[in-house]
This record gives sequence, C-alpha cells and structure tokens, in this order.
Amino acid sequence: MVVSEFEESSLLLDEKLLRFMDQLELLEEKRAALNSLIEQGWFSMSKARYSIGNKRVSALQYASEIEPLVCVHARTLDNGEVDFCTERSKQKGSNEAGKEATPIEDIGPQEEGVRRRNKPKKNITEKKEGEEASSEKAPEVTPSRKSDQNPQQDPLKWFGILVPQTLKQAQSSFMQVIELSAEIATLQTAVLNSRQELKQCRKDKPILQESSATQLEKHSD
Amino acid sequence: MTARGKLIAVIGDEDTCTGFLLGGVGELNKNRKPNFLVVEKDTSVAEIEETFKSFLARNDIGIILINQFIAEMIRHAIDGHMQSIPAVLEIPSKEHPYDASKDSILRRAKGMFCAEDFR
Repeated sequence: MVVSEFEESSLLLDEKLLRFMDQLELLEEKRAALNSLIEQGWFSMSKARYSIGNKRVSALQYASEIEPLVCVHARTLDNGEVDFCTERSKQKGSNEAGKEATPIEDIGPQEEGVRRRNKPKKNITEKKEGEEASSEKAPEVTPSRKSDQNPQQDPLKWFGILVPQTLKQAQSSFMQVIELSAEIATLQTAVLNSRQELKQCRKDKPILQESSATQLEKHSD
Repeated sequence: MTARGKLIAVIGDEDTCTGFLLGGVGELNKNRKPNFLVVEKDTSVAEIEETFKSFLARNDIGIILINQFIAEMIRHAIDGHMQSIPAVLEIPSKEHPYDASKDSILRRAKGMFCAEDFR
C-alpha cells in the first residue's frame, strides 16, 4: 500500500510539473503578445503625435474628471488560484451629449422686433442690452461645455473632435492589452500556485520514499 | 456593470499612462485619489513607492500595471508583495524593453529549480 502511495505521489508530482511547465510556456507566449501590442500602441501614438502635434497627445490633455470604462473582476477559486476577467461598460457620454445637443442654440438677440439705430443714447443702451444678452448667453454655453466633459466620455475626445485614425488604432491596441493583462494576471497566480503545490509534493516525496523502503524491507524479511 | 468591479492601476511613464487611459482604465475625481501615476524624470523613488503601497492598500484595485524600469526602483516593495490580489504586472517601456529575468513573478517561479529536483 505504501509503495503504491509513493508511486501515486511520484505520478502526481510529474503531472504537476508538466502542468507547471505548460503554464510557464503559455505565460511567456501571452507576455510576448502583450509586449508586441503595447509597442504597436506606442507606435500608433507616435504617428498621431506626428500628425497633430507633440503636446496634443500628452498628459496635458487628460480630462479633469475621469470615470473608468473598464473594470476587472477577481474570483478566487477553490484551489487558491484567482481568475481575473475584464468588463467594459457602455459609454453613456455620447448618448447623453447627443440628447442635450438636440435643442438648437439661438444665435442673436433674444428680444423680438426691429432695432432702432438713430438715437445715440438708445444705441448705447442697445449695445448694453446686447452685451447683457451675450452675457446671459454665456451661462447657456457653459452647460454644453460641461456636458462635453462628461467623465464617462470616450477618452479619444480629450484629444479633439477630429482625431487621427492612428490614435484610434492606439486606443484599440491598448484595449486589447488590458484584456490580455487580465489573462496574464490569472496565469501568474496559477503559476505561483503550481509552484507552491510542487514544493509541497517535493517535501512529502522523501518521507513517502523512506516509509516505502522500510515497508519493502519488512516484506522481504 | 452589475456589481462594481475592481480598477486597474497604472504606474508608468507618460506614454504608458496615456495609452492605458485611452483604453479606459483611468479614474480621477475630487473624492478619490487617482488610480494612475505618471512618472517623470523628477518623480522621486519615495513618491513611487508610496503610490505603489497605497494601491496595494486599496481594496478596489485588482491589477497594478507598472513599467519594469520603475519596478526596478522599488524592487524590494514588489518582491515583498505575496498576495494574489492585486496582481502586479511588469510591462516594458519605450526605452526599456521587457526582461523576463528581472520579473519578480518569473524569478519566483523559475528560481525553485536545481539539478536535484529532477531526480
């Protein structure tokens, strides 16, 4: 019985070692893919900088308020490994901005009727009224600006309304990097978990080996 | 998002942070500290380490992405992190390509083997 336990533990150790090697190989493959995607993203960003200017694609363009569009869910499994998966939220910014933008802004004096030009005093007062009207419009303008700075908006909009295609390509590359990062994080925990299991099995192996050797001697006697 | 998931934090140079923020990981508002740190030439090691430790202490961060050359500056702090969550991923930077021999996780995983282990 003890000999079979030793053989079983040896087989288990071999299986765990093979699994560990497979995980390491997969981890290195995913790492290579991640590094390649990141480099692709930087290259696209550099091309975007070349077309729209160096400072137009920099930390200066970050919004003052940002909400995350992607989050990661971490689920701890029974064997101690952690499974990471990403979830991307639908952007509310574009829809809400669209709804708020539908009322067409009136340009021009709010008061109806023909303006009188003849009397200078009245002209001055009209100018003042015009200024007041324009100052009244200023607060109307700012709400639409505030809606443009919706924290959940597409980050591409920080860099302007018409952004080059290369910046969109950079965004796409980094989105893929984020998903790969979750997979790599999962693999890393799996690799470390396998390492721990291997370590434990290796500790138990000599004990089982000794006990199997003593059992064999007893049987031979 | 039905249940609020965890955030992905970034500690990197400007290009790295810009890229990941483009991807949608960033969080910045008056009430909470940001989940990213743009490391510049004048950023001190103490600040980087403090930010890294603050990310570890937060329970709403699932993954920390850090440029490997920055990770080298705070290697002792990264090697001391043994928990599964948040996971720490070292990534390359423009000027410093990824080196697997420096990665804390891979060193821990590969460092266990010697010739006697395969008997």
